[in-house]
Amino acid sequence: MIFNTFSYYLLFLAPSAALYRLVPGWLRPWIIVLFGSGFFLYFAYGMAGFWGALCLLIFVWESLVSRLYRPSSRWCMVGILQSLALLGIFKYWNFFTGLIYLHGVNPVRWQGAFLPLGISFFTFEFYHYAWDRRAGKTEAGTLGEYLAFILFFPTMVAGPIKRYQDFLPKLRAQPVDWNRDWERGITRILTGLVKKFAIADLLTAWTNHLNAHDILLADRRILPLWGLAYGIKIYADFSGYSDIAIGSARLFGIRVPENFDWPYGRRNIQRFWQCWHISLTRWLTDYVYIPLGGSRVSTPRIYANIVAVMLVSGLWHGAGVNFIVWGLWHGLLLAGHRLWRQMRGAPSDRPVPVFLSRVLTFILVNAAWPFFCMDIHTAILFYRRLFVG
Amino acid sequence: MLTDFRATLEYFGGSRDDAPRVFAGRFGWVARCAVWALAILLIYAFCGQSSKFIYIDF
Repeated sequence: MIFNTFSYYLLFLAPSAALYRLVPGWLRPWIIVLFGSGFFLYFAYGMAGFWGALCLLIFVWESLVSRLYRPSSRWCMVGILQSLALLGIFKYWNFFTGLIYLHGVNPVRWQGAFLPLGISFFTFEFYHYAWDRRAGKTEAGTLGEYLAFILFFPTMVAGPIKRYQDFLPKLRAQPVDWNRDWERGITRILTGLVKKFAIADLLTAWTNHLNAHDILLADRRILPLWGLAYGIKIYADFSGYSDIAIGSARLFGIRVPENFDWPYGRRNIQRFWQCWHISLTRWLTDYVYIPLGGSRVSTPRIYANIVAVMLVSGLWHGAGVNFIVWGLWHGLLLAGHRLWRQMRGAPSDRPVPVFLSRVLTFILVNAAWPFFCMDIHTAILFYRRLFVG
Repeated sequence: MLTDFRATLEYFGGSRDDAPRVFAGRFGWVARCAVWALAILLIYAFCGQSSKFIYIDF
């Protein structure tokens, strides 16, 4: 829940933002650390009990190891590997060991497995810091500043995924117009809550039908509407979440990256991904696509890189075959779009083709959501009922 | 026209700092108050059966 609970606003956001505004500059990072730790303990305990709350030690460990990072240092590789190891153990252990023991009992299955709060996001920030320190692209900052970066609770759980070199100057700067920041921040939070309550939650009445039982019983003509409802719901839900995160950060006078820029109105799949979950797309570009060679390799490798990045994106969203298929779908769309552009040259600017390309992009994106919101068997059942009957 | 409409939506949604020309003057704060009132009304009307944010589980 978190952003749609009173406890978030009353126990954490309002008191910490007010204190942050009042205290001298040197104390500000520690206000974030104090309230960020409390936030993590409170909500992680609520979601995963004692062991979930104990995961606060991950942040302490990471902050201590991060003090060893230097440009070209091996400690940065340790940091990168430990970020991947954390994600691998908590999120993918049962999935990958389950694939190894596909036709039998998995003897190494972790029965009490749980996801630490925000692990997919904070490990990406750990990874980014270690990588950029290794490349000499960011300064170390103090321990308090780095802790404030990783424990900045408005973005800790589900992003937007920040960059240290962007965050640090804002943390150090003295905000010049608090009243403006608070007015804009509260407006943004209210917008996010409206998107969540009045759009996303309202559509739950339709999206709840996306299960095997209801799909089997339903008139097949209603299935595209359920799929479309999910497409609108996830946009309202996640962009609403991002609005609240960005608005909350603004109360500290800190601007964090935008995550959405009208993605459903875009005229091709490449533009869609530049405008949907922007902070993740940029992370994947900088830390997966470019290290793989990006666009400076042979043509077949470029296409392979595009598909590989989207497979990583799919797997990042969840440890399941359905997410891999969803990522593959988008990877193939992006590769297909690139091939089309190479064959046909620059796109037309005439109104009708522009309009049709926007509609086509919207349909192609929404056609993949069933793989995102249902397990692979249910998603296949959905398409079989839709196209075969 | 579409660009102006988008800028207005973004301004009242909090993602844009500069007010559109129509709302830049004395009339602006009245419009902002009205938007806050409408938002609070909508939140109050629909907050009864909220569910978990989808990306919390990622």
